Amino acid sequence: MTARGPSAPEPLLDAPPFLDEPAGHPIPAAAPRPVSIAVDRLTRKFGDRLADDAVTFSVSEGETYGILGPNGAGKTTLIRMLTTLLPPTSGTARIRGRDVVRDRPAVRRTIGTVSQAVTTDEHLTVEENLSVQGKMYGLFGRGLSRMIDRRLAQVGLLDRRKQITRELSGGMRRRLEIARGVLHSPRVLFLDEPTSGLDPQSRRAIWEMLGELKADDAELAIILTTHAMDEADFLCDRVAIMDQGRILCEDSPAALKRSLETGERTQIETARTLSEADGEAIVALGARSWRAPAANAAEFQSRPGEDLGRRAARLLEDRGHRIVHLTITSVTLEDVFFSYTGRELRGE
Amino acid sequence: MKRNGPPRPARGPFLALLGIAAICQRAYLTLWRQPILIISTMLFPLVYLLVLGNSLNRQLRHIPLAVVDEAGNAESAACRRGVMALETGRELVNATFLDDREEAMRGLRRGTYRGVWILPFRLSAKGPGPAFVGDNTDRFSFDALDTALRQIWDEVARGTTSAAAAADSSRLEAYPYLDYLTYLGPAVVCLSIFMGSMVSGGLQVLEDRMYGYHEGYLVTPISTGALVTGNVLAGAVVASLAGLLVLGAILMLTPVVVAGSREVAAAVATVFLTSLAISAVWFLLFARARGVSVLRGMFGIINALLFFPSGALYPVESYPPWLQAISRADPLTYGLNALRNLLLRGSSPHTVLPDWVFLLTFALVCGILTRVLFRREI
Repeated sequence: MTARGPSAPEPLLDAPPFLDEPAGHPIPAAAPRPVSIAVDRLTRKFGDRLADDAVTFSVSEGETYGILGPNGAGKTTLIRMLTTLLPPTSGTARIRGRDVVRDRPAVRRTIGTVSQAVTTDEHLTVEENLSVQGKMYGLFGRGLSRMIDRRLAQVGLLDRRKQITRELSGGMRRRLEIARGVLHSPRVLFLDEPTSGLDPQSRRAIWEMLGELKADDAELAIILTTHAMDEADFLCDRVAIMDQGRILCEDSPAALKRSLETGERTQIETARTLSEADGEAIVALGARSWRAPAANAAEFQSRPGEDLGRRAARLLEDRGHRIVHLTITSVTLEDVFFSYTGRELRGE
Repeated sequence: MKRNGPPRPARGPFLALLGIAAICQRAYLTLWRQPILIISTMLFPLVYLLVLGNSLNRQLRHIPLAVVDEAGNAESAACRRGVMALETGRELVNATFLDDREEAMRGLRRGTYRGVWILPFRLSAKGPGPAFVGDNTDRFSFDALDTALRQIWDEVARGTTSAAAAADSSRLEAYPYLDYLTYLGPAVVCLSIFMGSMVSGGLQVLEDRMYGYHEGYLVTPISTGALVTGNVLAGAVVASLAGLLVLGAILMLTPVVVAGSREVAAAVATVFLTSLAISAVWFLLFARARGVSVLRGMFGIINALLFFPSGALYPVESYPPWLQAISRADPLTYGLNALRNLLLRGSSPHTVLPDWVFLLTFALVCGILTRVLFRREI
């Protein structure tokens, strides 16, 4: 995409890798890499309200960890505690071994943040914004301008460096925010809803850009909060689903999807009427919630990876039916999300 | 991989200096891109200067006065000459000479005349003397006429020949128009500092906090002390700019004569130190404030507490004790005093040293308090 130094060819991030993962092929256990972020029973109260309730997790170097949750789940509060902007009520968090309360300056040197707030001045040019921020991190002179060039190239804003920030589109502005967040080469990057409010093209551009950032720095750990399931699916190695201040589950997106028993939905339509025996044969294969919306149609759910939809279709053909229509719908992370958090609207 | 690694960042005091420089750089660039800000911070004080200087305490002129001469003797003739001298000389009055006392009084009640001077039958130094009936709904005209006419009669009664000289006597000349405008000059410089520091320092801090820019500062490794210093200094630089531009305008608009380049340099230093102190006040006030609405409520009060007690418009000595106490704690008082010494009284720079010490101490105390109150949280 963008011109870069004579480093190794970049790994291309193509289609989401998890959606069509074959069954019986579990994600290899993460190589034992050093822990970058260790969060232990981190709790924050606002008055009587528990925003975060004994949140515990850890993230390794090079890992992208997604925190999913509805509004008010405690995601932003968690990020603020980890980025030294809010003291926890109890519990501890360490960023590369440094405590986020006791050793704030060291933590601040280590982390980069891209928050939901607009932290670039709209009256300054793209380059000036980065220059001001770079100095706040102790960068200066040629080192600073080298890093500005490098980051602007990475976020695709090299030709916009003299442009006033106000004139940038929403997507470009967000890319500038990300360039600002990684300008000083942090070891841990916090992204708080990095693509909310952006159009699909801009979202995709930011995803690809984050992929390149990771490819460029294999040790960079990323914590990302999002509402967008496809984003978590695309970007994250592991995902935690959070609600009401607690982590409800945590695993790779693929494993989470596999864990859902009703994750695959199959609809079959045949030329002739289906008999009761046909239905029983399909249920015997392991189909759940079997129902017949019409005399010549069947609908059921099954565990992802069992390939039950295709096997049921084959069974019906063996029993002399002609398949007119077959639809197999895979589970999305959204289904997993709803199965944990429910569908009712939240107070916040 | 290593050869293209990230540069080594600065730490400690050098990091603090870099951070302070960065905050100032941003404030300067923001201002540069919004010339309307600097124009408005300058325009307000200059309009203030022109409107206040031309309306308040302006030398009174053309006050309609009726003179009823019932005496017709030498004394009354001297009085009439005195009034005519007032009319043609300083143009204090527009005199109408009437024979009928009733007609004059009717005119007074209709507002045609602001005063009626009756020179009664047998007017003499031993009595009866003249009578002044004035329209006291307008205190300024009443007092001016009363004083001027009393002087004329004093001169006539004492038998001095020149009644015209009496009318020109010094009391009313104490604050003539031009001098008042000049007197206001340093006050207007201070007002522009106040406005400049509000727009660039106070308001900027609140806006940063509201829109989130602040968050970008807070997560950086720069120390909180450097953060506070940078913000105060950035506000001071911008406020000084506004103050210096107005100072230049004053020097051109009013007949101030500055002794030499040392005095000018001292005036520039005074403007900067005053800006520093005022900028520190704003940052202290907003150390914990969250929204711009705070400023809306504060502006009027702070303006009243800083600007008026400073002696900008009226001498401090005439204030009641409680107001004098505020005045003594007000940094603008010291900035103003130093500027008046340098610009109006032609004092040499070393006389303003105590003012500088106060301003610097004030800024330091505010800065330290801000550092204590400042919360590096969201």
